[in-house]
Formats: sequence, C-alpha cells, structure tokens
Amino acid sequence: MSDKQEKYWSPYVAGFVLGLVLLATFFVMGRGLGASGAMMRVVTYAVDTVSPEHVDGNVYFAKYAGGEQNPLNNWLVFEVIGVVVGGLLSGLLAGRLKWKTDKGPNISTTGRLLFAFAGGGLMGFGARLAKGCTSGQALSGGATLALGSWAFMFTMFAAGYAVAYFVKKQWI
Amino acid sequence: MQELTITSGRNMAHIDPNLSIWGWEIPVYLYLGGLVAGILFFSALYFLRGKSDEMPTVVRVTPLLAPFILGIGLFVLFLDLEYKLHVFRFYTNIRLESPMSWGSWTIGVVFPLSLLWAAIHVTDVFPNWRWPFQWLKRFVLMAQTYARPIAWILILYSVILGMYTGILLSAFNARPIWNTAIMGPLFLASGLSTGLALNLLLSKNKAEKHIIGRVDVMAIGTEIFLIIHMFMGLLASTEIHIKAAELFLGGPYTAFFWIFVVGLGLMLPALLELLEIRGKVGVSKIPALLVLAGGFVLRYIIVEAGQFSQWGL
Amino acid sequence: MFAPLYKYGLFGAEVSLVVAFVLGILFGFTLERAGFSSSRKLAMQFYFRDMTVLKVMFTAIVTAMVGILYLNLTDILDISLIYLNPTYLAPQVAGGVVMGIGFVIGGYCPGTSLVASAIGKIDGFVYIFGALFGMLVFGELFPLFQDFSTSGFIGDATLMQWLGFSPGTVAFLVILMALGMFWGAEIIEKKYAEKEQEAVPENETTREPDATRTFKTVQA
Repeated sequence: MSDKQEKYWSPYVAGFVLGLVLLATFFVMGRGLGASGAMMRVVTYAVDTVSPEHVDGNVYFAKYAGGEQNPLNNWLVFEVIGVVVGGLLSGLLAGRLKWKTDKGPNISTTGRLLFAFAGGGLMGFGARLAKGCTSGQALSGGATLALGSWAFMFTMFAAGYAVAYFVKKQWI
Repeated sequence: MQELTITSGRNMAHIDPNLSIWGWEIPVYLYLGGLVAGILFFSALYFLRGKSDEMPTVVRVTPLLAPFILGIGLFVLFLDLEYKLHVFRFYTNIRLESPMSWGSWTIGVVFPLSLLWAAIHVTDVFPNWRWPFQWLKRFVLMAQTYARPIAWILILYSVILGMYTGILLSAFNARPIWNTAIMGPLFLASGLSTGLALNLLLSKNKAEKHIIGRVDVMAIGTEIFLIIHMFMGLLASTEIHIKAAELFLGGPYTAFFWIFVVGLGLMLPALLELLEIRGKVGVSKIPALLVLAGGFVLRYIIVEAGQFSQWGL
Repeated sequence: MFAPLYKYGLFGAEVSLVVAFVLGILFGFTLERAGFSSSRKLAMQFYFRDMTVLKVMFTAIVTAMVGILYLNLTDILDISLIYLNPTYLAPQVAGGVVMGIGFVIGGYCPGTSLVASAIGKIDGFVYIFGALFGMLVFGELFPLFQDFSTSGFIGDATLMQWLGFSPGTVAFLVILMALGMFWGAEIIEKKYAEKEQEAVPENETTREPDATRTFKTVQA
C-alpha cells in the first residue's frame, strides 16, 4: 500500500462528473441510479432462501420475489455490484484501501459501530418508506424534477440538521 | 449420474433438448484439474529455468498442495459417478477415441507424478521433514537426481491435463457451445492463470509476486483473446452455433458471463495486476482471489450453458 | 429521437444488466473520489464543517437536469420515456425524516456505505447490516404501513406542475438556488475553519491554505 493518499476531487468537479454519470444513465437506460432497492432485493433473497412461503405470503416481499422470480436478477443489483467495484478501484488508486472505522475523537469504536448499525437500520427502514434513498430519490428524482423527490430531499436534510446536535459527540 | 433408457433420438428427459445431468461436481472437477495443471506447469517450468531459489513459492511450496487438490477433484468426480464401484473399468479398457478414457489415463499419470514432485521438494520447504521408511527416503533421493526429466514430463502432462479439462467438453459433439476447438486452449489458459493466482495468494516475496503478476496478465490476455475467438468462431459457423453463441450475447447467460467471468474474473484482476507491476497499488490478494473465483465461474457457466444449448432451432 | 437507448430497443434486458454494471463502476468511482467513502466527512455536513455533500449533490442534479432538458430540446432524448419517481407525499416526507435522523446517526446513506465498505471501512459494513435489518423489519411490518405507504399519492407530479412554470423556468430557479447554496456553503465552511484554527492551532497551522477549507478526516 502506498503511503501517499491522493486528495479527493473538488466537490464541484465530483458533482459535475456524478451529474454526467447520472445523465448517461438516463440517456442509455431511461432511469436513474439507485442503491437501497438492491439492498432490499438482497434481504428478500435471504428471506426467500429461508422460507419461500413466507415471501409469497407477504405482499411486500412477494413484489420482489413472488413465485419463481429471482430477486437478484435485477438492474439495480448489477449496478450496485459495479458501485462496489468502482469504489474499490478509486480507493486502490488513491491509496485509501485500509481497514478502518471512521469516527470522531470522543467516541469508542464499539460506540461508533453501534451508532452505525442503528443509523443503518433507520436508513433502511426510511428508504423503503420513501421508496428510495439518497441516490434513487434525491439524486435521480431531483434531476428529473419529481415533486416527491424534492420534498423528500428537503425533509431529509432538515431532519438531519435538527438531530445533529444530539449526536455531536460521535463526530466532533 | 442416473441411468437413462433412451428410446428415441429427441425429447429425452435430462438429455434433449436440454442436458441437465451435470450439476456442480463436473465444473468443480474441471476447475481443480485446471488449477493443478497450472501449479505443476509453472513449478516445473521455473525449476528447469533454475529459478528455484528466486521463486520458492511457485517451484516448491504450492506444488505440495497439488496432490491434495487433485485428490479432492477426483473425489468430487467419484461422487458424480453412478456406479462408484465400477471406477476401475476406466483403466481396464483403453479407448483411443474416448476423451474420458484419455482423461482417466492422464490423471493416472499426473496424480503419482504430482506426489513424486511434492516429495522431491518437501524437504526444501520443511527442513525437519523425516521420511518414515529408509527405502522411501532412498527412493526420493534417487528421484531428486532425476528431477529434470521428471520436470519435463510434468510440463508435458500438465499441458495435456489442462487441455483435457476443455476437450472433455468439446468432444461432446451434441452440445454446440462446447463443440469448438477453442475449448481446450481456453481451459488450459484459464487453468494456468488460476494456478498462478494461487501462487500469488501464497507468495510472500515481492519480486516473485511481480513475476507471477506479469505472467498472469499474459495468461489472462490469452484467455480474453481465446474467448473473443470462440465467439467469432461460433458466429461464423452454422445457425445452431450462432444460437449457442447468442446465449452469451444477449441470451440468458449474457450478464453473468460478461460481468462475473470477463469483467470481475479477467479484466479487473488484469488491471489490478498491471497497476501493481507499475507500483501503483499493493494488494495482490484481491486480483488473486478474483482470478480463482472467475476461473470457477467460467467452467460453471460453460458447463451450464452447454447443457442448455441444443441442436434444435 | 433515439434515446433512452434501452427504451428504443437498442439492446435487451440481459445486456442492460452489463450496462448497469459499467454505470455502477462509474457511479462508485465518482462517489469515492468525492470523499463519500468517509462517514465523518459526510456527517460534517450537518455541523457546517464540510459542505461537500451539498455541493456534490446539487452540482450533480443541476448537471443532469440541464443535460436532460438540453437533449430533449434537441430532439435526441424523449423525456416522457424517462422514469419519474411517482409522488406519494406523506410516506416520502416521513421517510425523509427517518432517513435524515439515520443519516446523522449512521454517517452514511445506502450508496455511500457500499463505497465505504469497498475500501475497508468497518463502520460501512456494520451500517449495511443495519440497513438490511431495517429493511427486513419494514418488510415484515409492511401490512401495518400498507395504507400509509400509498397515501398522498399525486402520481407523476413534477416541480413544473406544482409551481405552474415551464421546465426552463424551473431549471433556472434550481440553478439559482444551487448557486446560492454554494455561495452560502463556502462562507459557512470558511467561518468554521477559522474557528477550528483558533481552537487547535498546532494541527492547523502547518497545512497549506486550501486544505484548511475542507475538513480532512484522513489524519485521524
């Protein structure tokens, strides 16, 4: 591993490139990017493996894996595999590949991991409620000027700012 | 394998139009066979080139695993046989026209050779190794003096073994996707590449890793070339072969093949190895694992698709 | 018009999965390059220390939005064939609140957690397991939410319909808003960077001037 870490791109450059990737996705596929939908399919796949009857009996799971459908045979799932590979490549080239837990100086690693799990849980739940996450709703829906996506985006950031004070210890 | 009673040429359960006899056992066996071919080939090659001390992992360490890996492969194959007690019959008749007969005789040579080759090197890797019997020790010492000719035979037989893992399929005329002469070289190249990847995973020597990485990039390049060649060959052939190729070019195996075999199993590891050779990144374990996984997926998907591909239009 | 290419039948469903993989690589690469593989950098957004999230998101939205409108105007891209997230106001607002809280606590959003785990962030892995668990809970409890999750349905509503403006005007307003936000973000970041500098002078003085503007997590 090289010791030098490459700097991140300027946020405006990164945003522009991200916008071009998103535009390319709309241009080629006629749809936006996403992430949480693929995660839901992994969950459904796991449930389907344990108990297919349970999946067929639940309206929500059945939508993804009812009957003979394989929930993993899906556009978003393959896109997300690419996301992991792309992140890995970028991290490798920048010398950022390293086992590490990100946290502020005033919290233990265990504490941070508990928060990560809890936050992940809320995000997972919220993403299904909102029918998309930051990528699928805010980014893709935002660029197509969907009303609900903009409402989602602003409430998400507003809620984040409202709660930030209470978990300050975790980050600063 | 189940015994099948065949009464008509078409629409036979498990055979026509889609063959569904071979499960996971055959791809695992072909994969492990190719892996052993790769290990033994490079061990013997670098031994003959006098690189035993510079490349200890390739020449001495990994070959110690070869007999075990081949043993597992044979056990898996044995599981696949319907009449397990009749296994000796492979050796009681030689049929020049049958690739299965060729295969069993190749394994019959390679397996003892791989044991012998491991025995020759075991004292170099484990200096405290003691042979239990005096005659065995004397036998290994004698073999060590013939190490060079043994290495030549190993090179020859590891190539045959690697090719055979593919020819076993291509001799199956009835499956259009397998019925191409590329199958042998392709599986050989893949076997060599996975053998190198295992070395890359085990090696702790930076200079050795660089050499392995460089050769592996070449092996992967050959593989990609052969894959392209295979599709061009199939597409230039009869309607049936074109249909078979289309299984991978828009058909049901497209995404799986191009993403997991070509993308993650060949191009990504080749890219990472190239970057490592240039000193940009230092994680040889990732490309090694990707190649090892990709090699298996290649065999699995070709066996699967071959059983799916058919003569009917 | 010939785009979206997929909707015009240029390639089939199987090939679209390969396309998904390639676009995903570009997406993941860019997210990582933007610095979204670090939860601390992402979370600093909510403490005004590092406004990268806002800058990247709005630059991306503006870029893609302008691109879509331009390609539509030049008769290349048929905008009506592009998937528009349907609006279910109530669940989207509620989901936004839950996700905002989750964002500050967890430090990632689903996409960025994948990129973070790809480069070895342990909190990223734990976050993913949390998110999968949260989704499992949602799926299991879905019968309770079924009515709520379809409430406030307005269909394929857009900002244009809501405001009653033409797409061009809305785009112009979005750009203006984004520029305003960028301007505000720069000022806020500078203010907090100066504060930091007063608080911990020994770490900050050695850095080159532009590095003080963006909060760096890597030294931790």
